[in-house]
Amino acid sequence: MTGIFSYLVFFACVVLIFGVLALGLNLQWGFTGLFNAGIVGFYAIGAYTHAILTAAPQPQYLGNLGLPWIVGILAAMAATALAAWVIALLTIRLRGDYLAIATFGIAVSIQLVALNWEALTGGSQGLSRIPKPLSGVFDTPLAFNLWFLFLLAVIVGGIYVALERILRAPWGRVLRAIREDETAAVALGKSARRFRLEAFVLGSMLMGLAGALYVSFIGFVSPFDFLPIVTFQVWAMLIAGGSGNNRGALIGALVVWGIWSASGIAVTKVVPPSHAAQGAAVQVILIGLLLILVLLYRPRGLAGEAAVVSRHAAD
Amino acid sequence: MRGWIRIAVALASGLLVCAEAAAQAACPVKIGGVLPLTGSMAPITKKIAQAAELAIDHVNQGGGIKGCPVQFILRDDQGQPTVGVDAAKYLVEVERVPAFTGTISSGVTGPIISSVTAPSKVVQITCCSTASPFTLDGRSAGYFFRTIPTSKTQAYATASETTKRGLKKTAVIYVNTDFGTDMLRFYKAALTKLGGEIVIEVPYNDNQASYRAEVSKALAAKPESMLLIGFPKDAVTIVREWLSLGGPRTIALNNSMRTMDFVNGVGAKFVEDFFGMDNAQVAGPQVDAFNKAFEEKFKADSKGPGVHTQYDALMVMALAMNIAKDLTGPSIKDAVRLVHAPNGTPVGTGPGEFKKALELIKAGKPIKYFGATGPIEFDANGDVTGPALVWKVKDGQIVTDRTITIEEMQALFRRIEN
Repeated sequence: MTGIFSYLVFFACVVLIFGVLALGLNLQWGFTGLFNAGIVGFYAIGAYTHAILTAAPQPQYLGNLGLPWIVGILAAMAATALAAWVIALLTIRLRGDYLAIATFGIAVSIQLVALNWEALTGGSQGLSRIPKPLSGVFDTPLAFNLWFLFLLAVIVGGIYVALERILRAPWGRVLRAIREDETAAVALGKSARRFRLEAFVLGSMLMGLAGALYVSFIGFVSPFDFLPIVTFQVWAMLIAGGSGNNRGALIGALVVWGIWSASGIAVTKVVPPSHAAQGAAVQVILIGLLLILVLLYRPRGLAGEAAVVSRHAAD
Repeated sequence: MRGWIRIAVALASGLLVCAEAAAQAACPVKIGGVLPLTGSMAPITKKIAQAAELAIDHVNQGGGIKGCPVQFILRDDQGQPTVGVDAAKYLVEVERVPAFTGTISSGVTGPIISSVTAPSKVVQITCCSTASPFTLDGRSAGYFFRTIPTSKTQAYATASETTKRGLKKTAVIYVNTDFGTDMLRFYKAALTKLGGEIVIEVPYNDNQASYRAEVSKALAAKPESMLLIGFPKDAVTIVREWLSLGGPRTIALNNSMRTMDFVNGVGAKFVEDFFGMDNAQVAGPQVDAFNKAFEEKFKADSKGPGVHTQYDALMVMALAMNIAKDLTGPSIKDAVRLVHAPNGTPVGTGPGEFKKALELIKAGKPIKYFGATGPIEFDANGDVTGPALVWKVKDGQIVTDRTITIEEMQALFRRIEN
C-alpha cells in the first residue's frame, strides 16, 4: 500500500510539472490565440539554465556552477523570458500556422544546440548530479517526493491564483478581445502587438519554470528529454482539459498523463510478456482512442471556457 | 465541474485497483523490464525483448529464483524519458521489483538511475546503454550494471591497433551521440598515452545527404589515417567522399561497420586497407547454446545489437538473486559481483546450466558464469570488459585479422589508465 501511495505521489509531481507547461500554453493559446508549437524549446531553455547553474562542478564543463536551487529556478525563468522576448520580436507578427511553423523550427534548433554544445550542456551524454532541493533533509525517496509535491503544489497554486487574477483584470480581457477579433481590438486603441508579446513571454516563462522544476526533480537532463513529442503531449493536455480555462489545463495534465500511465499498466496486466511488443503498440492506439473519445464527448474539453461575457451581464 | 471530478476519481481508483492486485504475493518472484517497444528504437527492440523472454524461460525451467517461478513484467518506455521513468517508478513502488533490466537509450536510462533506482536502492542491469557518466560519476551508488562492454574497450583496442600499424597522425570523424563522443574521449586518452596524435576532431549529425564539409575540414589537417565512428548508412557517404577527395586509404572503423552493407556500399575494392574493431563474441559451447535456443524458439537468427547482452543481463540478475541472502536491492547488488567468482565452477547458458548453478549455490560453492557474450566480470564501476577483435576486408569478405584476448585487454587497460 505504501508502494502505491509512493507511486501516486511521484505521479502527481509529474502531473503538476506538466500542469505548469499546460498553464503556460493556456495563456498563449487559450487566451491570446498564439499557436506556439515550440513548447519544448522553452522547456529546454529553462531546464538547461537550471542544470548548468546548479549541477555539481565538473572540470570538463563550462557551467556546472553548483549554485543554490532557488537561483537556478529564478535564472531559468529569466533566461526563458529573455529568449522568448527575442523570439517574439522576430515572430510575433506571424499569424496562426505560420507562428506554429516558426516556433516548431526554433524548438528543434534549441534541441540541436543542446545536443551539440558539449562543453556547456554535456551534449548527448547529458548533465547529471543536478542537486534535488533539500534532498539531504528528506533522504528517502518517498519523503523527498512528498516534499517536492508540496513545493510543486505551492508553486502551481501560486501560478493559478496569479493567472486567474490577471486574466480577469483588464489585461486579460484585452487578450481575449485580440483572440476573438484582433481588428476590433486594435480599433479600440489597444496595441495588439504589445499584448501578444507580453502573453507570449509570460507563457514561455512558465514553460521555462517547468523545465527547471523537472530537472531538479529528476536530477538528470539530456537532449532526449526535449523531443517534439513533449509539445504534442502538452497540446493534448490543454485541448482535452479545456482551452481557455486554467482549471481545464490542470485537469488535462492529470487526465492525459493518467491515460498515458494507466494504459501502460493496463496493458502489462492483460498482455503476457511474450506479446509485450504488440501490447505496447495497442497502448499507443489506446492513448489516441481515449483522446479522441474525450474530444467527441467533450468537444470544448473536460472543463471548457466559462461562457460569461461580463460579470455584470446578469444585472 | 462534477463531471471532471468523477473522471479524476475513476481514473485514480482504476490505478489503485490495478496496483492493489499486483502488490500481493511473495511467490512468484517479480523481475521488471523497461524497453522501448514502440518508437524509433522499436525495430531493434523486438529481438532484445525476445532474448529477455528466453532468459526468463530458461530461469524458470532451471528452477526459478529461491524456489519460486519468475514473473517478468515488461513496460514500454516509448523512447521517452518521462514515460520510462514513470514505468520504472511503477515497477519499483507498486510491483515492488527488487531488480529490473533496462533500457536502451541512454537518455532514458540516465533519469531512471538518478530518480528511481539509485534512490530506491534497486538493482538495474542494462543490455544496451553505453553513455559513460552513469557508472563513472558515482550517481548510481553501485546499483547500476551493464552487460554491454562500454565504448572504452573498443576505443582502447582501436588506439592500440592504430599505433601498432605505425599511424601517427589521425583525423577522427564521429557521430554526435553519446556513443560517438564517448568513443572519441577514450580513444583520445589512449592514443596520447600510446604515442599517437589526433590532428582534428570533426563531429557529424546523422542522416545528412552529404558530408563534404566535414570531410574537407578533416582532410585540411593532413592526417595519415582516419578513424570513423558512426553507423553504416552515413559512414558509406563519408568514406566515399573521403576517398573521392583524395584522403588516405588507411581508415579505422568501429563495430557498427562490420556488415556487408557497409563494404558493398563503399565498394569492396577500396576497403582493403581498412581495419575495424568489434567486441569479440567469445566462441564456445555457451554461445552456441544460446544461439541455438534462440533460433529454435523464435525461428529467427540471434544476430543483432543487444540480443546477447540482454540475455546475459537477466541471467546475471537471476543468478545474483539466488546467491543473495534475501531479495532486497543491497543484497542483490553485492551478489552480482559473485556471479563470476575467480575460483568458481564454470556455468554456461540454458536451463540445464542454470540448474547446475543453483545446485552449486545451494551447496555453498562459488560459480563462474560464462554467458552468451563470454565471461561476465564487472569492474568497480559495474562495467564489463571483454575481449575484442580486429577485422578487415579480404576478397570482398569480412574476416577476423586477430583477436585481442581478455588478458591482453586487461594489460592494455593497465597501461593506459595507470
